[in-house]
Amino acid sequence: MPALPRSEWYDLTRDMNWDLTYVTEDQAFPPALSNSFGVPAEDWWTWDEPYKIAYTEYVHNQAGKDQGLFSVNNVVSRSSIFENLDPGWKAAILAHYGAIAVAEYQASIGEARMARFGRAAAWRNMATYGTLDEMRHGQLQTYFPYQALNKEPRLDWAHKAYHTNEWGIIAARHVFDDMFTANDAVSTAIQLTFTFETGFTNLQFLGMAADAMKVGDLDFGALISSIQTDEARHAQQGEPTLKVLVKAGKTDTAQNLLDKMFWRAWKLFSLLTGLSMDYYTPIEHRTHSFKEFMEEFINKQFIDQFRDFGLEKPWYWDQLLNEMNWVHHAYHLGVYFWRPTVWWNPVAGTGPEERAWLEEKYPGWNDSFGKYWDVMGDNVRAGRPELTLPETFPIVCNSCQIPVCTPAGYAAGYLDSPLPYQLVRDGRKYTFCSEPCQWVFEQTPEQFAGHLSIIDRLLGGIIQPPTIEGALAYMGLSPEECGVDGNDYAWATATASKTA
Amino acid sequence: MAMFPVQGFVDGDFVVVLALVDDTDPMPVVAEKIAYHSVGKRVAAQDRPLKVKRDGVVQPDDATLASVGAAPLDVLEVVYA
Repeated sequence: MPALPRSEWYDLTRDMNWDLTYVTEDQAFPPALSNSFGVPAEDWWTWDEPYKIAYTEYVHNQAGKDQGLFSVNNVVSRSSIFENLDPGWKAAILAHYGAIAVAEYQASIGEARMARFGRAAAWRNMATYGTLDEMRHGQLQTYFPYQALNKEPRLDWAHKAYHTNEWGIIAARHVFDDMFTANDAVSTAIQLTFTFETGFTNLQFLGMAADAMKVGDLDFGALISSIQTDEARHAQQGEPTLKVLVKAGKTDTAQNLLDKMFWRAWKLFSLLTGLSMDYYTPIEHRTHSFKEFMEEFINKQFIDQFRDFGLEKPWYWDQLLNEMNWVHHAYHLGVYFWRPTVWWNPVAGTGPEERAWLEEKYPGWNDSFGKYWDVMGDNVRAGRPELTLPETFPIVCNSCQIPVCTPAGYAAGYLDSPLPYQLVRDGRKYTFCSEPCQWVFEQTPEQFAGHLSIIDRLLGGIIQPPTIEGALAYMGLSPEECGVDGNDYAWATATASKTA
Repeated sequence: MAMFPVQGFVDGDFVVVLALVDDTDPMPVVAEKIAYHSVGKRVAAQDRPLKVKRDGVVQPDDATLASVGAAPLDVLEVVYA
């Protein structure tokens, strides 16, 4: 370790900024890779990270984390802990690994772009650590499930998922490409590190780690805790980037970047975390409903944070609060009904006790959402479970790529109309699940217009044969990999016995 | 006759689905083809006839998608009369 205290040398060695003379600013920092939004180079040099760390310290810390983590994994992987996990929790972690592991590796591309095209040396220094962090997260979250392949072969979706056209992965890829894989450095700092990591995942990972420990999944709990400590550090690239933009009078630019990505992150978050918290986590281990978690940890803390910088709540805030009451309940119904299209076994989570919990957390749930489960339960009890399986496809949103569930919001009394939003542009009809999703599309239509949703691909003849079986094959799902009811319909018979 | 993809849902259901109909199907048949994916599966059946609403207007039973000038992927709502 250096003989001098870090504070005596850090700023000097970090601030390797200089005036360009051999090349122009745009040659060194092409706008497509590093959009300055008109802020002069010298202004960016005031960028100052709130958390200082030297490379030697970084390596020392990371080595210690890995040593502890792999020790846990080494023991747990030889135990029967995984086999004994609740089926709902298994669904949650299979979904997590597939949706997140390779995305973390892709985030290292976004971090590496900031490490080269970030507008200040201090930022590039911090992004270098961020690059190494995300590589570590990608590797950990493919290695840990790999260790348990003999117990659940579909854990290979931790690596496989992003190499398929499974519909949920199309949705995740669509937002993550926008957020970091194909984003410029300045926008990445605002949209990945500030909006998504500071706003959502940093807090979510804390909650997930605690939940994992409660259900007895030591391996996953240790993994997520370890990752969260990295996130908490590199997420801090967003704040100084935001400060530079605001100080330079670019508040509207920052607000627009934040507004677009906060909505996009919400949609994916409600699909993944909404289902995990309110349906997949065993009821005895739940501490918050998804809505309570959003209200207490995401919305309040995040609003306080961006108000400190002079930003406002996104214009669609009331619509976001409205969706928190119903949209993830609709997504859960959709994932359950179209369960062959996912790589995990969704549990219904609607036995008598779970329904009472849902009614308590979401007053009116039984009337608004329980009625669908009543019909499906009747079919199961009548010996016709095939009626709980799909013979067609849901329409998906051309922005978030998630099924359009506006009828659920209307039927539950939260929307004024059950109809989706539609837009015709250059002769093509686009469908959206919400006003903010259409707004996101219309901010940069040239960026999104060429993308084909899974339904566009089906109608365009790309998916052959255009049947459920053809679509499953297109999505990379063999019959053995398709999701089935995680509890073998126990929820329906439990309802029947209580009713009787 | 031509296969005609529409976005459809039954009043009270939670999701909009893709339904394949024929542009010469009379509206009750269109309604049945959309309802097939919903009624008795997620929405309880009712002993009443089904109607098609387009742009908020209930369509006459003798109309077809061709006769009302519908375009592919138009949104059709199916309601009980």
